[in-house]
Amino acid sequence: MKDCWFPVGAADDIPSAPGRETLLMGEPIRLFRKAGQIQACDAEGRDLPVTVAYDHVWTSLGTPSQPIFAIPEAEEPGRRFVPCGHVRVACSPLRAVENFLDIAHFPFVHTDILGAEPHTEVYRYEVKIREEEDEVWATKVRFYQPQAAKAAEGGQEIEYMYRVPLPTASVLYKTCPSKPEAWDVIAIFVQPLTETTCVAWPWMALYDDTSSQADLVGFQQMIFLQDRAILENQVPALLPLDPGKEIPTRADMTSIAYRRWLKSHDYTYGAQLEAQ
Amino acid sequence: MTDTPRTPSQGTPPQWTPVALSRDLAPATAIPVIAEGTELALWRGRSGRLAAWHDRCPHRGMRLSQGFVRDDMLSCLYHGWRYDLEGQCRKIPAHPELEPNKAICVPAWSVTEATGIIWVSETGSGAPPDTGALAPLRSLTVERSEDALRDHLGDGVVIEFDGLHLLLQGLPQGRCVLHALTGPGLDAAGQRAASHRLEALRTRFEDSEDIA
Amino acid sequence: MKLYDWVLSPDCYKARLLAALTGQSLTTVATDVFPGKDHLTPAFRDMNPRATLPVLVAGDLVLTEVPAILIYLGGDWGGDNATERARQAEWLTFSQRLAGTLGLARRIDMMDAPGDLAQAQRDGTRLLRQLEARLFDRQTLGHAFLTGPAPTLADIACFPDVMLAPDGGVSLAPYAAIRAWSRAIRSLPGFIEMPGIPRLHELSPEPGA
Repeated sequence: MKDCWFPVGAADDIPSAPGRETLLMGEPIRLFRKAGQIQACDAEGRDLPVTVAYDHVWTSLGTPSQPIFAIPEAEEPGRRFVPCGHVRVACSPLRAVENFLDIAHFPFVHTDILGAEPHTEVYRYEVKIREEEDEVWATKVRFYQPQAAKAAEGGQEIEYMYRVPLPTASVLYKTCPSKPEAWDVIAIFVQPLTETTCVAWPWMALYDDTSSQADLVGFQQMIFLQDRAILENQVPALLPLDPGKEIPTRADMTSIAYRRWLKSHDYTYGAQLEAQ
Repeated sequence: MTDTPRTPSQGTPPQWTPVALSRDLAPATAIPVIAEGTELALWRGRSGRLAAWHDRCPHRGMRLSQGFVRDDMLSCLYHGWRYDLEGQCRKIPAHPELEPNKAICVPAWSVTEATGIIWVSETGSGAPPDTGALAPLRSLTVERSEDALRDHLGDGVVIEFDGLHLLLQGLPQGRCVLHALTGPGLDAAGQRAASHRLEALRTRFEDSEDIA
Repeated sequence: MKLYDWVLSPDCYKARLLAALTGQSLTTVATDVFPGKDHLTPAFRDMNPRATLPVLVAGDLVLTEVPAILIYLGGDWGGDNATERARQAEWLTFSQRLAGTLGLARRIDMMDAPGDLAQAQRDGTRLLRQLEARLFDRQTLGHAFLTGPAPTLADIACFPDVMLAPDGGVSLAPYAAIRAWSRAIRSLPGFIEMPGIPRLHELSPEPGA
């Protein structure tokens, strides 16, 4: 897992050398700007690979074998990019991603916004590992939402697609309220500080000409802070990969596939293994 | 007053642990408590009946003590999985038509309520101590371990100290809950005075260099 | 009335909650404090030189301190005699201490604000104990709220930072009277939530039951 890319900062908020210290998978690292370039190094001063994508800085303690994943929709003209700041959470980085993939909690955690009783049913959807890209994908996910986005008015059934391109990053596509033929893109980039603490960097690429940036950021911060109150109360803080430890249902197919995919790649930083 | 000798910390743990005063657990509410190092969700149905469970939803590990009670069912705050007083899952809102598998149930402890005090026990054998006519006042947490407090206060289930009668509930990380009882029939002013004495007692314990 | 608002701020929530409970409508202006630093712009500083949220604008009146905003929005809730107003003023001051301890712990723990987390948690815990003791005293008189038989500015001012204490790593598990008080506030008609302070789902009916 250490050869994967991880988000570690907002691209517009990296100071000049000596820069800023942060943690990646328990290791202190330093980010700084030098000669117009963003750079990163570990505690011994060794240079780390850096890439800037989707308004964030990504690095790795190892050697990434591939460039950062593509979000082709983010290249479409007319989209607004909305970096939403960062929030530290006392939970496994993998739990933070799994929560992002979950819709069944909407009526209880994001009440009257992303869901509401009695519209709690999760209809059958499709999940698969796309072998070529090596990503987890869930498609044809439908859910009734009272207020799906800042620009949404009234309740509607929303369609979603979810993808997991990296162990601690996920992108969702959902019906765009102002442009039904397009998808809004909402992502969560998670920086593993330790196995049980992480920083979430929500990010969006939307078609929305009416809402202010502050409205959009505020909406996403509200949603994520509601999730944080859940994430800090899951026991254990680590994500169990032993199928016997937690009981899923059909609504959890994405989470089941995510856990299997993590296990098959030995992406276990932040996971509780079967032996434990 | 009961005066059982204290079990040494390496010996058998106490059978019943006082975890809350009845007055502090209203109908249709849930609270987190800790007994013998185990985190439990203690809750009361609308009918008044009690349950004490492992504080963990079998679905995704969410603390059930954060959940909500409708009628005599506790629902997990995360996905709304709904459990009856026996700990059996009765409804999964994501699949409203589905009858939940009988295997989905939360491990429970025994819980009982007597003279205004709620006790829990993992095994449920025997009965909790009788505190007689003493009236529950309030509970408060001290940043000192049960062992350190007992070294100072002495042994026994109910410890009389400074005109208060104390039940001790040890917590992890060197903390302890004092459940304070008083003699019967105190009026409101008397209760406030007793509460202030209890506060003073805590300050004394936490300031004392003898109670490490 | 216009409220310059940030969704993650307990201080802004105090104003929104009081307005909701007293049936007043506020036009909120979302302000991107983080990461946008909208509050540091010249335009915002021109309105509020201290660059803090919330700001309440009502005609020519511009209020930038939370107690003042609550007094203005509070109307009858603020007390009809000097004794009651003074009692509430005590708790309005106390609530500012909560913001400087529990609120600070939350900002440090969640958003990397500068400060000493352990110290903020210790100081906040001391205040929670004082609040708990006060609320127990109130229970002996049969009252659920801080200064009167009904909620007042005192309750609304203290409620948010207390409820969000777990966001800053301070558990509310030890405080039975605070729990009862929180339920009383969250049960009030017109109550609104903020992230970290969910509504009581038990007040809604079980679907299909």
